[in-house]
Amino acid sequence: MRIPINWLKEYVKLPGKLTDLTDKLTMAGHMLDKLDKVNNNIVIDLELRGNRADCYSILGIAREVSAIFKTPVNYPKIFNKASKAPKLNDIKLKADTNYLRRVMIATISDIKLTPSPLWLKQRLEEYGVPSINNIVDLSNYVMIETGQPLHTFDFDRVGKNLTIRQAKKGEQMTTFLEETINLTEDDLVWANQTSVLSIAGAIGGKVHSISNETKNVLLEGASYNQANIRRSVHRHNLLTDAGIRHEKNLDPNLVEFGIYRFLELIKENKWGKIENNVLDYYPNVTKPWKLSLNFDYLNSLSGSITEPKKVVEILKRLDFKILKEDLKDLEVACPNYRTDVKSEEDLIEEVLRIDSYDKIPSRVLSLEVPKDITLSYINQEKDLKDNLTSIGFDEVISLPFVKEDMRELNKSLINSGSPVKVVNRPSPDIEEMRMTMLPNLLEFTQKIINERGTEVRLFEIGKIYFKKTNKYHELRKAGIIYWSKGNANFFKFKGYIESLFSKMNLKNFKFSTADLPITNITNSYNITSSGQVVALGGEIEDCYYLEIDLDSLLSKNLKPSVNLWPKYPPQIEDLTFVIPERTKIGEVVLSIKLVDDKIAEVELKDIYKDSYTFRIWYQDKNKTLENDEVEKIREKIIKELNHRGVRIKN
Amino acid sequence: MREEIQNLKNEALAQIMEAKDSNELEGLRIAYLGRNGKLTKLIKEIKGLSDSEKKEVGRLINESKNAIFETITSKKNQLKVVKREWFDPTIPGKKYKIGKLHPTTQVINEMYEIFKHLGFSIIEGPEIESDVYNFEKLNLPKDHPARSLQDALYIEEPDVVLRTHTSSVESRALETLKPPFRVVVAGKCYRYENVNATNNAMFYQFQGFAVQKGISMADLKGALYSFVRSFFGEKREIRFRCKYYPEVEPGAGLDLDCLFCNKKGCSVCKGRGWIEMLGSGMIHPNILRSFGYDPKKISGYAFGMGLDRIVMDRFKISDIRSLYNGDIKY
Repeated sequence: MRIPINWLKEYVKLPGKLTDLTDKLTMAGHMLDKLDKVNNNIVIDLELRGNRADCYSILGIAREVSAIFKTPVNYPKIFNKASKAPKLNDIKLKADTNYLRRVMIATISDIKLTPSPLWLKQRLEEYGVPSINNIVDLSNYVMIETGQPLHTFDFDRVGKNLTIRQAKKGEQMTTFLEETINLTEDDLVWANQTSVLSIAGAIGGKVHSISNETKNVLLEGASYNQANIRRSVHRHNLLTDAGIRHEKNLDPNLVEFGIYRFLELIKENKWGKIENNVLDYYPNVTKPWKLSLNFDYLNSLSGSITEPKKVVEILKRLDFKILKEDLKDLEVACPNYRTDVKSEEDLIEEVLRIDSYDKIPSRVLSLEVPKDITLSYINQEKDLKDNLTSIGFDEVISLPFVKEDMRELNKSLINSGSPVKVVNRPSPDIEEMRMTMLPNLLEFTQKIINERGTEVRLFEIGKIYFKKTNKYHELRKAGIIYWSKGNANFFKFKGYIESLFSKMNLKNFKFSTADLPITNITNSYNITSSGQVVALGGEIEDCYYLEIDLDSLLSKNLKPSVNLWPKYPPQIEDLTFVIPERTKIGEVVLSIKLVDDKIAEVELKDIYKDSYTFRIWYQDKNKTLENDEVEKIREKIIKELNHRGVRIKN
Repeated sequence: MREEIQNLKNEALAQIMEAKDSNELEGLRIAYLGRNGKLTKLIKEIKGLSDSEKKEVGRLINESKNAIFETITSKKNQLKVVKREWFDPTIPGKKYKIGKLHPTTQVINEMYEIFKHLGFSIIEGPEIESDVYNFEKLNLPKDHPARSLQDALYIEEPDVVLRTHTSSVESRALETLKPPFRVVVAGKCYRYENVNATNNAMFYQFQGFAVQKGISMADLKGALYSFVRSFFGEKREIRFRCKYYPEVEPGAGLDLDCLFCNKKGCSVCKGRGWIEMLGSGMIHPNILRSFGYDPKKISGYAFGMGLDRIVMDRFKISDIRSLYNGDIKY
């Protein structure tokens, strides 16, 4: 809220330096947002706390300054209280709602409607509301000064039969800003027999506002149920100056102060004739409430010692009344306007913030350190990310939504369950949540290809989301994608994956062909480990993709182990075989390995047309193999493969 | 024979000193010390000598061998200094692709590491969340003024949302974990937002909370100051001030001095001279009570911060969208 310094000065003595004032206010909870100058007067813009309804006024801030700097508040003069009555000059007010806490009405006749005098115009300009005429401006002025929103009607237009009620279905109102609002049954309105006059606490109607023809004014100030006003204000986007105050928990006792302050200024300026009676509807009077404060609790919560004497002194500066005090506890009566102070902890904050948070010491590890309960999958994800980067893949993070043109792909890996959707989407791209990491990775890959990249290696680790049997599921996945200009193939991609698995210490995994729910993905397969599917993969748009299910990997035994170099050297030779089409090479490799336990390793080195070259390691743990021993094993290999229709070249 | 050895050694040393390049030196090495070298041949002749002579001559041969070898080595080094083969160290290396972690991951990892030293564990929670855990249990009943600040993305109105903050994990932790505990959470959060350079519908938050008998604002301040100093640097100025958050009481905000303007006020800090870094406070007694704790017997603190701005600042990224739309060039 914008606080013109000159205006604030009228009610409280300010420190000599402006930064003294703004620094202390900031520390106490009202941060200086901006500094401004209007009409050569300094205006400080404070970011106020949402629960301090009392601070949305010059007087509210004056009270804070008074408490911080130990100087008294000079309250402005108010009208000599007129007598109050349930009815007023024949005005009948019907309060047909539980949302009304208090309302006061006064009438002013024979008003002198003029442009506002300079002082009033300037004040409003400094605060930041436009000047309209003296009556409307005055109600704004008093609202800014006291925090109580006031509203003026053209008395002759609204008539004498008034109701405060919830709107009926289909009712409409056009605001003085010429905007027509369709009301709901939850909106609280002022109405007469024929029409809606205003939306309570938010905005007045066009027809019944003060106009150039207005002769007599009906002034109202009220206090409503905060939640109801808040709903209306946000439903219809009516964050007016009145609205932002009424949506907070205002003190109903403030209504009286606001009304009488307005009347006082009418009187002083001779802008109309004030009727003697004021209507006051206030069914449940709010009285100061009691709270207690335990000194030990204060000290244990703050971690420092505040002397009881100081506690008492600070609370007094803040208008709290001390009812009882002993060595351990304090009982106080809270001022009516401090609607935010409801608990002992609130009182504790009051003491600490006025004393300054700077006095709280900073302690590290003074308490016992609790045991480590870090979830194992957090470490797993971290390791996996490090392993993937070590084999040359870059990590990306995307918004877990699938763009409209990619929705078909969203069902590519999951065929049970339905996508989770945002019902109030801010844009079409932020609606359907991903069921696979593929669409976004594919889009990012495409982007790099378009930027003339020659190779793409990306991964994303995150969640996928779906709904199944009325429950929402979130599963952790790692999506891995590979593309290379002109020379990507499954052989290379699988090499990366095998290196990854080896780094993860994942052993005994098996690649098998597997069908996926949609056919955009070709050459699809799965990877199983002890019978459980741990990953799905395939080819799409020349990209190789694999999605690993992290939760199913977590249960696997991924204990690290090391291999030592064998004592006796191996004999190594390359054998080239001619292999018929549609032979599973993985099975060929396996069958070579199974021929003899002295075959330590078999590696596919090269493929040329139908010729496959394997590098074979012959090795014995206990001795160096002789040539004739190797020869025998080689013959066994050739014989074994012959059964499969594979023959050695040359 | 002794003389023969001495002559051989002198002849070798003289030739070595005359040598012009490393090839010539290698030739000399082979000629004297090689398998059929002149000195090696002499060793074979030792057999026929008497025992005492064997000892004497053996020592002499060894000395000569060492002398020749050392001279060759030093001459080699000398030749290198004087003259070297053509070698171009400016030639670009063959590209070797290594992967990089996303900037946000790097920042999260660093923060995890700092908080681990302060006794914190790492946990997580769901992103699709009920109104209860996201709001109600955090002292944010319906119609609470603070709710408008975080308009949710709804999966089902009004009860299922995409979490608007990581505080939802706090309510789940309070339900399942037994004090004492200290945990941090980092993760995706969502809000209704029209996407632009500074706002995104998804953002990352980093949150921590500790529940323990006797834990106080002094402990909160200590943990935050330690974190800030290790993450942002020892010299940063810190402002720890009163601030309102419905989830805590008392509440505190932590600001850092603006490095761009030295606290004078600039566009980065919106003229304030300070950058708001995180929100914190003592866990609200209503929250503690709703999970069955007596606030006078057990207390807790909580803190939270947005990560994206910190990441953008660290990696000099000016548009928040580029963090999560594949724009980062690795």
